[in-house]
Amino acid sequence: MGKRNTLNLELSGFNELVTKLEGLNGNVNKVVTSALQQAAETIEEDTKDAVKKSNLPAKGKYSTGATENAIASPTVTWSGTVAEVGVGFDYSKDGAGGFLITGTPRMQPDRELQKMYKQKKYMKAIQSDMEAVVQDEIVRIMEG
Amino acid sequence: MEDNLITLLLSFKYPVMRQGSLAADDVYPETFFTFWNNDETGESFYDNKTSSVLYDFSINCYSTDPSLAYDLIRSARALLLENGWIITDRGHDVTSDEITHVGRGIDVMYLELQN
Repeated sequence: MGKRNTLNLELSGFNELVTKLEGLNGNVNKVVTSALQQAAETIEEDTKDAVKKSNLPAKGKYSTGATENAIASPTVTWSGTVAEVGVGFDYSKDGAGGFLITGTPRMQPDRELQKMYKQKKYMKAIQSDMEAVVQDEIVRIMEG
Repeated sequence: MEDNLITLLLSFKYPVMRQGSLAADDVYPETFFTFWNNDETGESFYDNKTSSVLYDFSINCYSTDPSLAYDLIRSARALLLENGWIITDRGHDVTSDEITHVGRGIDVMYLELQN
């Protein structure tokens, strides 16, 4: 598997909810997998939208489609108690994902990708969605 | 805040430019910095007014000498920290569109209190 982008998530609120779920004997593994999978699928869809031709430099005139093909399809994997999911671009494949996020001296960063991968607002929304998945499960258990 | 960042980077005596501002037929300088403002958001509010603003910039250094690119980003990190910038990043590679140059980057933030 090639290198992927790093997205910074502040997970303290999420961790608190998971601890609460654990205390209620909830299925932590299943719920965390579901929260991560949903978050990663949202990121995958949004990344696909961000590399649509209309959002690319020169309206995608030079796009071959390789960048879109390099977007990671998310699958959650567990190593002991650590869950992991790849998001963003798979750099082992051809594509211009890295160029588009950071830009180059001759090309400004892609505005849509930059909003996702460099601005806090997007990640806060993803965090909030993940917390909602765990919160819903807690409510479901408590309401019996 | 951008002026402050440019002034600090210029103290290294290499060109500083906005990411994407080099024309297609311009030659890359041997070593240079670029910057990009990722985000500028109100971070705290009081009495219906913004009381602090968080600026988020990416700084990149491109050079024909890979070790210089690494050294300059490390030095820029130290200088910005001394000048009140907030930096959690230790640095990362960035792609260069010239095979002769390597790129090294860092993300930096500044929290400005509003009067």
